[in-house]
Amino acid sequence: MKIIEKIKTNKSIDNQTEIQKICLDKLQSSPLPNPKSEQWRLSNNSKFSDFLDYSVNEIDPKFDIPFPNSSQSTIRLVIGDNCQINLIEKNYSIKQISEHTLVKYIKEQISCFDQNENWSDLLNLALNCTKNTLGLKISGSEIPPIEIFSHASSNSLNAKTLVIFLEKNCDIDLLQVNLGKDNSSLSQSTFFCLEENSSVNHGVVSYGENKSNLLNSLNVIQQKNSEYNLGSLHFKFNYARFEIRIKQSEGNAKTNIKGMQKTKKDEQISTYTKIDFHGPNGFLDQINKSLADDKSHAIFEGSIIVPKIAQKTDASQLSRNLLLSNLAQIDTKPQLEIIADDVKCKHGATISQLNEEELFYMRTRGITLTEASKLQLSSYFQEIISFIPVSKDRWDLLDKLLNEN
Amino acid sequence: MQSKMKESDPILEVENLSASTNNLPILKGVSLTVYPGEIHAIMGRNGCGKSTLSKIIAGHPSYNITNGDIKFLGENINSLEPEERAQSGIFLGFQYPIEIPGVSNLEFLRVSTNARRKFLNKEELDTFDFEELVKEKLEIVKMDHAFLSRSVNQGFSGGEKKRNEILQMALLEPKIAILDETDSGLDIDALRIVASGIKKISNAQTGIILITHYQRLLDEIEPNYVHVMSDGQIIKTGESDLALELEKKGYEWTDNFIKKT
Repeated sequence: MKIIEKIKTNKSIDNQTEIQKICLDKLQSSPLPNPKSEQWRLSNNSKFSDFLDYSVNEIDPKFDIPFPNSSQSTIRLVIGDNCQINLIEKNYSIKQISEHTLVKYIKEQISCFDQNENWSDLLNLALNCTKNTLGLKISGSEIPPIEIFSHASSNSLNAKTLVIFLEKNCDIDLLQVNLGKDNSSLSQSTFFCLEENSSVNHGVVSYGENKSNLLNSLNVIQQKNSEYNLGSLHFKFNYARFEIRIKQSEGNAKTNIKGMQKTKKDEQISTYTKIDFHGPNGFLDQINKSLADDKSHAIFEGSIIVPKIAQKTDASQLSRNLLLSNLAQIDTKPQLEIIADDVKCKHGATISQLNEEELFYMRTRGITLTEASKLQLSSYFQEIISFIPVSKDRWDLLDKLLNEN
Repeated sequence: MQSKMKESDPILEVENLSASTNNLPILKGVSLTVYPGEIHAIMGRNGCGKSTLSKIIAGHPSYNITNGDIKFLGENINSLEPEERAQSGIFLGFQYPIEIPGVSNLEFLRVSTNARRKFLNKEELDTFDFEELVKEKLEIVKMDHAFLSRSVNQGFSGGEKKRNEILQMALLEPKIAILDETDSGLDIDALRIVASGIKKISNAQTGIILITHYQRLLDEIEPNYVHVMSDGQIIKTGESDLALELEKKGYEWTDNFIKKT
């Protein structure tokens, strides 16, 4: 109940919005996620308490974007930073969604929420205020790459919400960066709607500093002939959950997901995915990689739902995991729920350690064990990172961050 | 088996070496001395310990030396790490070169070459200088430049993998190269290219140990000595005609030799 009290007593939200009231009502009946539910059974209770421990903060201190400036005409936005955008160019437009439309859309989403599955979204929307919500409607072609930053400041719990409508025939590269400062918690919920024939290369890079926590929820609705490509990377969090829910609402859509989480020390980072096919000829290619070191814990749970209507679905889900220490823990559970009888679906999971023969081979060429391990790990990351729409200058930063001890 | 006395000091001395893995003895007292300029061939049935000997000299962590010494340029290297042995000039050409997906061949070769150069107090090469060097070495094994942009050995044919091994040998300029069944899986043309590469790289200052089953490699590279291994020991040593005799009579002939000894 601690979180309900916290939301209620937070002075800055005395005047609650309609959305906040709806979500708070729902949370009253389920103030904490059910620890026995499939989505939460492996979550570390003590670490989850760490997430809820900080006081809610709606005011962001000055935020320095950690990524270097790009030579390209990248559009950069920071959620909550008095973010305003209204671009109408010859080939494209990026407009802010009106508050009325935003509320209407979010209410529709909430009506479909499952109390456990969407607990993170309920919390996010109960905490969030209009100022920390960014809604964009994007249309056209030849759109410059977009970068959107969310961050949590030290000793506080920040909630940020992003809603994006991609109109018909639109094609974008979007990089979303979630950053947690020292001793902080970030609640990030993203809602993506891809209209017919639209396509997005979506990168989600989330990393924290000392003792930072993250609840990151991503909800995607794909209309027919849309293509959604997601490359994600989560690392350096005391506790982090990445929840992905994708619905191909009419089938005939393509989804490609390549995600990775890297845990060290006593961190726990988990990824939950639910891919729902609601029409025929849907396509999914998903790979999730975990890399766990020290005493850390990495979790992947993925489900693919193929009802009778989703004939001719072609779906693949693979979980690949590397254990770097005897004390690290990896849990993985890719699963399929298939009712349709004419489908091509496969799933699989592997857990292994660094390949000893590869290491020996490199060492016989004079490469030290440390360097050889680094080379092997970089090659492990590469498949995922190359899928994230990040330009070369940002790459170096990511590379450096990933190789930090 | 002691080689005949030479004017210079030996490169490699394996003295009464016994080794095991998972408490299973594999080598049971192997002795072998290689002087500069010498080519030694080691032959023997599958499982007799040839490849194990090569891996132990290179420092494979899965094997324990239970007795004896390995000396390289007069220094005992029993406790050296594989990378230290490689940097000081020991090269192992793998029977089955390992594929390393995601690691570019060019970068792998550059990092390896620079590790050796650093040991030799030579200036490390940047990407551009290394490109020049590697271009020159590619000629030796008649490899296409395109192989450099691919991942290490990934998608290479058997012959291409073996040529990549010889390319690495050419770049690392080892004092001693142990080539474990470099001829296996090669067609006649590829065998000639690989053999010619080995001959171009070797000189009066280097030693070579060829591990092979077949005479055909030894037709291309004539060894000074041929050793026959059986059950973790060298049971017979001779000159190049021993390989011819072995080809004619088979390993059963060496079984008789064990009985006699």
